[in-house]
Amino acid sequence: MLATPLPDAEEIRDNATFDAVLGALSRPGTLRDLPEPGPLCIALALLDRECRVHAGDETLSARIAATGAALVPAHEADHVFMAADSAEALAVIAGLDTGSHLYPDEGATLIVPARIGAGQALQLTGPGIKSVERICLDGIHPGFWALRARLCAYPRGIEVLIHDGARLLALPRSTQVTEV
Amino acid sequence: MSLSDLTGRWKAFSYGFLDASAKRELRRKMIKAVAVPGCQMPYASREVPIARGWGTGGLQVTLTLVKPSSTVKVIDQGADDSVNAASIRRFLSRVSGAAETWDTLDATLIQSRHRIPEEKLTRDQILILQVPNPEPLRGVEPNMSTARQMHADADYGRMWLQLYEQMVRSGRVMLGASYPAMVNGRHVMTPSPIPRWDVKKLHMAEHLTILSAGREKRIFAVPPYTRVEPLVFDDVPYKVEDHAHLTCARSGVTGYFMNEIPQEDGSAGYEVSDSHFGIKAIDARDGGTPTVGQTWYRNGELA
Amino acid sequence: MAYVATRGGERAIEQSERLYRAQMGQIDAARVAEIEKALPALVDRVMGEASLYAPDLAALALAQSGGDLYEALLLLRAWRTTQPRLQIAEVVAPDAGFTHRRISAAFKDIPGGQILGPTLDYAHRLLATEVLEDQPYAPPAVEPAAKPAPATHPSLAEWQRAQGLVTTPEAAPVPRDEIPDLTREPLLFPAKRAHTLQSLARADTGGTLALGYSAMRGYGNSHPTVNELRLSEVEVMVAHPDGRRFSAGRVKTSQAEVVTTKGKGELRLGFTATLGWNEVKCISAATLDLNAPGAEKNSPVEEEFFLYHTEPVESSGFCIHFKLPHYVTFQSSLDNLRAAKSAQAEQAQPTDKEEETA
Repeated sequence: MLATPLPDAEEIRDNATFDAVLGALSRPGTLRDLPEPGPLCIALALLDRECRVHAGDETLSARIAATGAALVPAHEADHVFMAADSAEALAVIAGLDTGSHLYPDEGATLIVPARIGAGQALQLTGPGIKSVERICLDGIHPGFWALRARLCAYPRGIEVLIHDGARLLALPRSTQVTEV
Repeated sequence: MSLSDLTGRWKAFSYGFLDASAKRELRRKMIKAVAVPGCQMPYASREVPIARGWGTGGLQVTLTLVKPSSTVKVIDQGADDSVNAASIRRFLSRVSGAAETWDTLDATLIQSRHRIPEEKLTRDQILILQVPNPEPLRGVEPNMSTARQMHADADYGRMWLQLYEQMVRSGRVMLGASYPAMVNGRHVMTPSPIPRWDVKKLHMAEHLTILSAGREKRIFAVPPYTRVEPLVFDDVPYKVEDHAHLTCARSGVTGYFMNEIPQEDGSAGYEVSDSHFGIKAIDARDGGTPTVGQTWYRNGELA
Repeated sequence: MAYVATRGGERAIEQSERLYRAQMGQIDAARVAEIEKALPALVDRVMGEASLYAPDLAALALAQSGGDLYEALLLLRAWRTTQPRLQIAEVVAPDAGFTHRRISAAFKDIPGGQILGPTLDYAHRLLATEVLEDQPYAPPAVEPAAKPAPATHPSLAEWQRAQGLVTTPEAAPVPRDEIPDLTREPLLFPAKRAHTLQSLARADTGGTLALGYSAMRGYGNSHPTVNELRLSEVEVMVAHPDGRRFSAGRVKTSQAEVVTTKGKGELRLGFTATLGWNEVKCISAATLDLNAPGAEKNSPVEEEFFLYHTEPVESSGFCIHFKLPHYVTFQSSLDNLRAAKSAQAEQAQPTDKEEETA
């Protein structure tokens, strides 16, 4: 009756992006490959008119608006695309929605650029990690980690997706991060 | 812009049946489910072409994850050839072009109702469990709003009391399948109606498990290497079904979860519940050389 | 290869489907058109519960499912959910639209008059068995009134508001494009007003009747009086991408507003509207809505209770799922039962109630 449809280019990209995101979140600290560099593919795989989004970058903002998502200030957003490299940025991140004990799912997802493999050494433990995972990140303000720990009063908290070109790693709120 | 631009080219249905918007919502909810293991995340849950209660929650997850290079295995009660498993598997391959398999080792996505295969799942596999009732507190609190508040407060006193009363009355915890477990030390979760035999397979596993209740519109997850601890009292150990000594009448394997088959002479026979694992054992006995994976249980004991 | 003997699963399901479909024989456009013409009440009921206004598709679903309402609904809902969302139509006020029938039980006469319109309410329910003896039944022609009724009628609640008898509930400050949509978001409690009304609009007619009737018999806190029951046709107004407003067509709608005098010095209202003409559902559902505020937890008139239990696709699906094999869960409980029994062989005591094994 119905022939098997073939995935189009968007479906292939969105599916591969989410493969990377889900894999990265399931094994915090491990690197995954996005189908294309930059945060746009993440936005396109996740966002539509049901979402409230904040993006620091104007070009990205315009692309996100085209998905039907509402552009809102960061503290009202469920998805936030911005750098975390300055004290000003941290002040914005400090106001992100961390959900509630009743609805932890309302905690925001923060998508930030960084250089993976250089800079601050971090040690990760928690679900998805067999014993300890170690990563290095550059381009993140040193105050970010204490701020993240404050925001992630489990089960409240935020998810952080970190992209460097087409490489992705993720820190769900369940991950404990120690600076080393 | 014209109306035809907005509507796009007409298609009988999308790749993987679900439209892009449904998939995006599921992706957003899966992210949160993985981030807070064992916590039930509400989602819209679209209608799909099978009836509610027949695996629509699991199906929506599988349809979101599937791609043409996927290999899917679908089981019901451990069996690949069960009629509803066959129906779901056929639907999946029909709308996605994914390969079908009965072999746990070959599958990238395993959708299951009520069982976890006996062969260990690996890091490259995702287990999708169909969930009829996502609320472990339903037995002590049928009201969803109240139960949600209890989870928010980590108020599991009534759950413990129920277990304690069973201990006093029956000398043991009388929960069969769906045995509640504490996940990541915070949220009590139903593992779906898998037998107690299977619950421990979720603890510090190598694979990701996603549990999805389509009718009740809740999704939750157990990431790899996550603590999943059945609720037990310190002095009363967790008991799996007493199947360790049973032998499958067809394949001859011993030490796995069995189906009990009433016999005409009044006795009971047994068949291994993981049907394809049984097929491999029969194949090996008959001189074949099937590839059998490492199993969670060895000699009836969790390895 | 003993297991192979049981591999008939795929063939069995295919043949069982063929057996069912063989009952209906070939389905063609003429059959679908006949269903649409001959069974408007059924088509309306299915469209309302499917929340999809498409008489031809509803008739097709009925033809395809052989008249199994729940199957027809699922066909329509599963089709609906994959359709792109192009527009959010303009809001329709209760008193807008071409009114075919509008009655009130609260007053003898009302501004705009009581308009009976099409109904079987006063018909004598005599089965026309002569039709089976080759005497076709042709309905007598409708005699037009000397003066046609006006196309629109004012809302009775507006008159009551002007009299200070009811308070207008404050509209939630939500732009039209952001009205919460139950098909895109989960139902959570306390429910958003939009979600409640959407749930009732697509609720199971029989389910709302059963629970609504329980409230009418006294399991609720308020007895309903039908303030206004209205059957209309309303325009679906949308905007062309170039900005022009246009009507995408007319849909039949029914609305019921029930009222209770058991308020603190004023009337309280319950309301339901749905696609298609379905009076029993609207009155029952409006009665549930009327009784919901302050309802006892776990009572049939508590919002969570009736919204969950009148969802037709979920309730019917879960009911038939009990036909699926449950032998693993059964085995798991059997194991407990035997162990407890042997442990208690000497001191017989009742075991705990059987747990849910879905």
